[in-house]
Amino acid sequence: MRSSLTNKRQVVLAGALALACVCFSVVLAHAEPEKKTDQKPAPKKLTGAELYAINCNRCHPERYATEFTAAQWKTIMIHMRVRANLPAAQAKEILKFLKEDAGN
Amino acid sequence: MKISSFISGVAAAACVLGMALTPHAAAMISDEDFNALKSMVTNQDQRIGQLEKLHEQDQQTHQQDQQTIQQLQQQLGETQTLATNAEQKAEAAAKIQPANPVMNALHNFTMVGDAEVQFGQAKGQNSSFVLADFAPIFLYRANDNILFEAGFDVMLQNGSASGTNAVTTAPYTHDAGSSTSVSLSFAQLDYLLNDYVTVVAGYMILPLGTYQERGAGWLNKIPDDPLAVDFLPASGAGVQLRGAVPVGQSGQMLTYSVYGVNGPSSVDGSANATTLDANGNSIPNLDLAGNVGLLNSGNNANLNNKPSGGGRVGWFYPWQAHYDLELNVSGQTGTWAGNYLWSALVVDAAVHISPYLEVKGEYINTWQQTANAGNIQPTGWWVQAGYKLAGLDLDAPVVNDLELVGRYDTANDAMGSTTDRTTAGFVYYLTNTLLLEGDYEWLSNRGLNANGLPSSLFIVQLSYGF
Repeated sequence: MRSSLTNKRQVVLAGALALACVCFSVVLAHAEPEKKTDQKPAPKKLTGAELYAINCNRCHPERYATEFTAAQWKTIMIHMRVRANLPAAQAKEILKFLKEDAGN
Repeated sequence: MKISSFISGVAAAACVLGMALTPHAAAMISDEDFNALKSMVTNQDQRIGQLEKLHEQDQQTHQQDQQTIQQLQQQLGETQTLATNAEQKAEAAAKIQPANPVMNALHNFTMVGDAEVQFGQAKGQNSSFVLADFAPIFLYRANDNILFEAGFDVMLQNGSASGTNAVTTAPYTHDAGSSTSVSLSFAQLDYLLNDYVTVVAGYMILPLGTYQERGAGWLNKIPDDPLAVDFLPASGAGVQLRGAVPVGQSGQMLTYSVYGVNGPSSVDGSANATTLDANGNSIPNLDLAGNVGLLNSGNNANLNNKPSGGGRVGWFYPWQAHYDLELNVSGQTGTWAGNYLWSALVVDAAVHISPYLEVKGEYINTWQQTANAGNIQPTGWWVQAGYKLAGLDLDAPVVNDLELVGRYDTANDAMGSTTDRTTAGFVYYLTNTLLLEGDYEWLSNRGLNANGLPSSLFIVQLSYGF
């Protein structure tokens, strides 16, 4: 009688242990990787459209890309780079954006 | 002899037996077998006939394929001939053309600028229309790094006539006819030395404050310039280095300008604070527009003993599009009449909070050594705010295209006159480049020249940027 009870306990313990292992595995499988709090996401590089929105209506109403040809925009952007002291990389991105929808 | 006779006898017996048994063997094939065999032979004949027909059709198809192959071979030969000819022509053309042919035009000529027409009235005077300005800017791009730009101001004004009244015989001087003035605002060569340095040479708009560089008629929002801007030279002949350094990836930047110019000079050649114009009116003796290097005589010379130097440093910080802060500090120092010093310091700022609200202003301080009034310090400042009513989100087309503006400015010429002015105005955006502007100005004049200025005036201006 005692031996049968012992066997039942062993079976129950084994089953409980197996269930715990399954649950632990499931939790581990769905757990998010540990976040490193000291790492900041890399800053997103602004697009030409965003740089255009930031810079090109500070002093005058926005000009539409279709108002000038691609060649004219290239000339005007040098003028504006000098006049408004725009960084070269930003001026190039803005020019690229304007040339996409430049007039003919 | 006996064996051969035995073999011959066996052979003869076999022949006789074969002849006797043969009719009996033929008689063993039944009619059914014969008919079945006959039917099979007939079917095989039919199948042979069908196969022969198929064979004939295959032969015809083969002949057609052969013809098609011959035609294709002919066409291939012609194509190869054409390709060979084209290659020969290309080789011949390549021998004539340069090794690196220019694919895109380097040069480009573009004209931008603005034009303004005004209608206005000062208190106590007649109202009138005015061609305020026609200001084209010619841009000539020589290549990716070189731009030449020149801006002009063309204005129309009354001419003058003088003579003797035919009835009263009194002498007169009167406005009659018209004259056109054409002035050169700037003419400069821009050379993009690298990403951080641009060399500017020629007659340049000076980076003293930011109003002069951003002061075109369709940019002002208020038709009149701030009073204290008159204390500063707008342009100067010289050389400048300028550029910008981006800070991070958010659009933030530091800007700089360093320049050397001839500097301001004196109207009458003396170092006195004031002088008299042709009509006997007292005017400042500081000549901010001249001293461009070429004398009346045609010789080259600076009217001052030394050239002047100046510069500007600035910080632009946008935290998102249409939300930004700009701060600038600029100055210039040098001589203006012989060894008499003239210096200027300008602090300016601009803030955008949303696409609708803008606040900006400048503080201007100058120092001038004079021969008759000691050191004088003309100074002034202005602050201007504008709000686009589209920010109210009223869903009203006319209102949405309207911007209300206001400005307060003051100027003390340090020669006994101070003027304060409050301005209220509007900008109606007919398009993004065609603007209807209007303002009403209240002026408060104190000091020596208090009677020379109106107490109020209004201006309506049509501005076009192109």
